[in-house]
Amino acid sequence: MKLITHNMLTSNIIKGVTKGYPLGIIPRKVEVKDVDYNPEFLARMIPNMDWSAVCKAAKDVGHDEGLPKEIAPNFTENDEFLKAAHHVLLEIDVVEGDLVCPETGRKFPVSNGVPNMLLKEEEA
Amino acid sequence: MISFRNVHDISRMRPIIMSWSRYVAMKNGMLGPFGPIPCWRCLLSTERGQTTMNVFDRKAKRIQRDRTTILPDYKVYEYLKDEVGFRVADRVFDVKRQFNVAVDLGCARGYVSKHFLKDVVSTIYQCELSEKMLRQSEVSPEVPTFRIIADEEFFPFKDNSLDLVVSSLSLHWVNDLPGCFRQIHNALKNDGVFIGCLFGGDTLYELRVSLQLAETEREGGFAPHISPFTDVRDLGNLLSRAGYTMLTIDVDEIIMKYPSMFELMHDLKGMGENNCSWSRKPMLHRNTIAAAAAIYKDMYGDEEGVLATYQIIFFIGWKPDPSQPRSAARGSGQVSLKDIDKLNELVKDLGKLSDNKDPGKKN
Repeated sequence: MKLITHNMLTSNIIKGVTKGYPLGIIPRKVEVKDVDYNPEFLARMIPNMDWSAVCKAAKDVGHDEGLPKEIAPNFTENDEFLKAAHHVLLEIDVVEGDLVCPETGRKFPVSNGVPNMLLKEEEA
Repeated sequence: MISFRNVHDISRMRPIIMSWSRYVAMKNGMLGPFGPIPCWRCLLSTERGQTTMNVFDRKAKRIQRDRTTILPDYKVYEYLKDEVGFRVADRVFDVKRQFNVAVDLGCARGYVSKHFLKDVVSTIYQCELSEKMLRQSEVSPEVPTFRIIADEEFFPFKDNSLDLVVSSLSLHWVNDLPGCFRQIHNALKNDGVFIGCLFGGDTLYELRVSLQLAETEREGGFAPHISPFTDVRDLGNLLSRAGYTMLTIDVDEIIMKYPSMFELMHDLKGMGENNCSWSRKPMLHRNTIAAAAAIYKDMYGDEEGVLATYQIIFFIGWKPDPSQPRSAARGSGQVSLKDIDKLNELVKDLGKLSDNKDPGKKN
């Protein structure tokens, strides 16, 4: 599960949860893969991202050195910022781990790189 | 005292030898000692005091889909979903816009999202209930695709984050369709679009009728074997009540020929479209099946085979946004229908009219 996916997920689906974002990450196996750098793709995706959630997620997986705390004002031209964003969003893969709901603590497992957001019957 | 068909005389308690299917039915809570018991799980109350229908056993649906992945020739059964997935993708291409984030909900093996290219969509999230099916999914050759195991009824995306949601032939197994549409509506950005399709009321009516007639004849009653489908008008109502505007709904019919009813039922199982409603009967008697096949061939078939209809309802709904075209204000018309006989002159004047402020657009 890349951090770009993690940024989209919320646990508001659980009954009674209103502040289910962002989800915490408990990583058990993290891999760093090489992915082709595509600045256009990043320029389009960064406005969709909640950057504070990105920073928190990077910290949870332990890859937040050198990550800027805020989106740079002219990020479409700022190559350095884009490269840092590329590394954090696309190259870090949580292969095994858990996503934790901030309100209830319920864990959603991540197995083989795919997060499992299914609920049990009692939580619906 | 009310008498039932299979009354157990308590004074003569003896071990009950029953068939395996009867045992399974009793275990599932659908059959008591005196006959079928009413299904209490069919109605479920929510917090707000509304009643949402709980018609489908989602856990069973997931198991059925998982089972199709074990088949070595699972690709053989994909013809229908493949074709319909391509038609949905075609409709997405008709929208002249580039979408940033797209979600393929209930993607199965990625029948819609595998057609997307870079100039249409930037990112795809494939969501599917069955993990095994999701892992077998095909992805777009150009667009980065990420997989998430998610239930259609519990949409895990944050508000105002998606530009496009597509769903092909999976919403007909959703219990709480209004809730599902509302959650998708929340997750869409303003001016986001929800394009999809699901099976309509006329789907497999031949099979439904044949089984009903055969069961009535052989067993004296009938159980539902084809799941209930949404009507076109109901779908329109549901979408507009969930907040979508500019709805367009159209219906397509695909009629396929099968050698007999058995091949049709086998293919439905291979697609993962077996019945999963809570009130499904766990078995079909051999006599009933034979009778149904004969009725099917007689009523809906010829020497070559039998026909089966799949009615597919395509829909597109938009999340409201001020930039969308709105109808003109009342009384702002400049031309009257009474002048239709002077159409030629009016067309010449139209050039002058369009120079004035267009009453339809927002200032």
